[in-house]
Amino acid sequence: MQIIDRQKVNEQINDLKKKYGDDRSALMPILQDLQEIYEYLPNVVMQETAHALGIHPVEVEGVASFYSFFRTKEKQGKYVIRLCRTISCDLAGKSNVARQLENELGVKFGETTKDGKFTLEYTNCLGMCDQGPALMINDRLFAKVDPEKASQIIADCRRDFLKSDFPKVVPSDVKKAGPILDHGLKPAEALKKALGMSRSDIINTIRESGLKGRGGAGFPTAVKWQLAGAAKGKNKYVVCNADEGEPGTFKDRMLLYEHTDILLDGMTIGAYAIGASKGFIYLRGEYLYMKKYLEEALKNRRSENLLGKNILGKDGFNFNIQIRMGAGAYVCGEETALIESLEGYRGEPRNRPPFPVDTGFQGNPTIVNNVETFIDAALIISKGAEWFNEHGTEKSKGMKIFSISGDCRHPGIYEFPFGIKVSELLKEVGGEDAKAVQIGGASGHCISRKDFNRTIAFEDIGSGGSIIVFGPDTDMLQVARNFLEFFVEESCGQCTPCRDGNPKLLEGVEMLENGRCSVAYLNELKKLGETIQNASKCGLGQSSPNAFLSIVDNFKPEILGRVPEAE
Amino acid sequence: MAKILIVDDDKDFVSAVSLVLKSNGFDVAIANSRQEGMEKFDEDNPDLVLLDVMMDEPDDGFVMAQSLKKKVKDIPILMLTSIGQVTGMDFDKDSEMVPVDDFEQKPIMPNILLEKINQLLGK
Ligand SMILES: Cc1cc2nc3c(=O)[nH]c(=O)nc-3n(C[C@H](O)[C@H](O)[C@H](O)COP(=O)(O)O)c2cc1C
Ligand code: SF4
Ligand code: FES
Repeated sequence: MQIIDRQKVNEQINDLKKKYGDDRSALMPILQDLQEIYEYLPNVVMQETAHALGIHPVEVEGVASFYSFFRTKEKQGKYVIRLCRTISCDLAGKSNVARQLENELGVKFGETTKDGKFTLEYTNCLGMCDQGPALMINDRLFAKVDPEKASQIIADCRRDFLKSDFPKVVPSDVKKAGPILDHGLKPAEALKKALGMSRSDIINTIRESGLKGRGGAGFPTAVKWQLAGAAKGKNKYVVCNADEGEPGTFKDRMLLYEHTDILLDGMTIGAYAIGASKGFIYLRGEYLYMKKYLEEALKNRRSENLLGKNILGKDGFNFNIQIRMGAGAYVCGEETALIESLEGYRGEPRNRPPFPVDTGFQGNPTIVNNVETFIDAALIISKGAEWFNEHGTEKSKGMKIFSISGDCRHPGIYEFPFGIKVSELLKEVGGEDAKAVQIGGASGHCISRKDFNRTIAFEDIGSGGSIIVFGPDTDMLQVARNFLEFFVEESCGQCTPCRDGNPKLLEGVEMLENGRCSVAYLNELKKLGETIQNASKCGLGQSSPNAFLSIVDNFKPEILGRVPEAE
Repeated sequence: MAKILIVDDDKDFVSAVSLVLKSNGFDVAIANSRQEGMEKFDEDNPDLVLLDVMMDEPDDGFVMAQSLKKKVKDIPILMLTSIGQVTGMDFDKDSEMVPVDDFEQKPIMPNILLEKINQLLGK
């Protein structure tokens, strides 16, 4: 039992308030720092935080219990090992790694070793799907882990990583670059040009380029910026969605790290265009290792007057960016949940309308854009709309960065034009013999060979760029099960269809696995899936049955009438 | 006789408003989209533009207002919005992003509309 000195806690909270502010939006970062100190969030700590911010302790507990990276019950180990159990790592053999980790540590998943050194947990996609199985230890990521490596990693941990052959930062694997990734732009080049343009000309250039949001939904970026620019409000905000939680997506991890200045240029240009003075990067908790690096980049930009007051001599243009960490909740990638989280609440999506462009962060006009969208915007301002829209299709302009994982010979990050055929893409990545392809991550669709001549574009199969290839031997029920487990776990629980419907679908998959599902019941499940799509409040619920439904449609002969192995 | 260009994709609203305007002695030109509106503006040389915000795109009205003011700096624009009620949006006049002379909410009473138009034309 740890004895905690209330007064000391208060001093720490006061220091943190100086750093993060004293309103509710400081709650998450304060809790994150306190958890770092105490290795969990004891009651006293939550109570004192509540008092310091003038909110009820129950509210603080409610927030802490929502996010999987907060611990309120017991102290976590010095090293928290989180093994990815999402689809790509699952297919790459995470079960053997899991088994070996348990053997090495003598505990099961969810437990902490007696000496308090290790906590073993599962987590969802870590953004390293092309290099799975992946795991995370505190803020460090490990790629291509096999049982033998797992044991080495544990040995390194025991020596506190004093000596370790594993890289501190796992490099991203860019297999194919194009005009976007080979932009050749210097930091601040795009920003300088933008500051010589009028605000409406910037947005008009983006409009001419045809840029649509790269986070998956494909909303026209110029419209979003124009509406936020036109909205009433003195304080406007620019938010970079760096939550990258969609299973099978890992391109933002690379973009954040390797094109940092272009991203920051894009955010600053957005701020200038809509008239914002504050920005946030909402960085997923899994990318904690990048926080220091990004903070350093922000510091450099402040010293070069690329952030701060009267940026680059532009009178009255003041803009600053803060980094806020997520805490392991996929739903916080949804823009209104993300804003709730920034404000210090549970990441529960809001009803829309009103939209963030009008009523976003603390009720102010806010643009939320994906990492890649901001980068594209900066490049478009620098190189022109035509440079961008000469690629792609009529309705989906430009090049797109894809995250490709699963059963193919060359997984990694690729730049392709929108409109590429699935079959062409498979050829490029060495996945010609694929049996199915999941497009758009867990929330996307699973297509079979008959649809491989379809294209990836918002008017055909839209996608934020996550492509998971399933080889000829893949058990499609295992795929459906993995995705449904993901949604059951990640549903925020606010609305019934999503909260209660997905467990029912999962139960259905179990029945199919055991060969105990009639066609009539399967049809009931399909209807349930459609209800979940129609009746859920946010995109998570609305898209959660997609994979299940498309697998049922495309692979019925494979999933019906199974005889379980035991029989 | 002053000529008014109405740009709105709501055909019922357009016919009601043009009736009111015509019976009060105005010339009226009509367009149902931003593209058509720009063409009519060049053809008809209106003295005032009545402009809706959300047409094919939710920001068409703003984009059009910006282009109009670039062509004819002091063309009066009265922006008509119904989006306040639907989406809770609230917009500000802003010489750069929302270069309009005034706002009115839809639905609008004919006498108020006429008053506003005369006021803008008289300045
Ligand atoms: C459950 C859920 C998770 C999402 N996760 C992300 C994410 O990790 N990154 C992202 O950019 N957009 C994500 N989105 C989409 C965002 O809500 C939003 O549309 C996007 O950030 C807008 O940026 P864009 O227009 O630049 O794409 C998610 C949506 C849903 C429904
Ligand atoms: S659909 Fe699911 S994730 Fe979205 S609000 Fe409802 S319960 Fe929460
Ligand atoms: S890192 Fe495991 S599936 Fe993405």
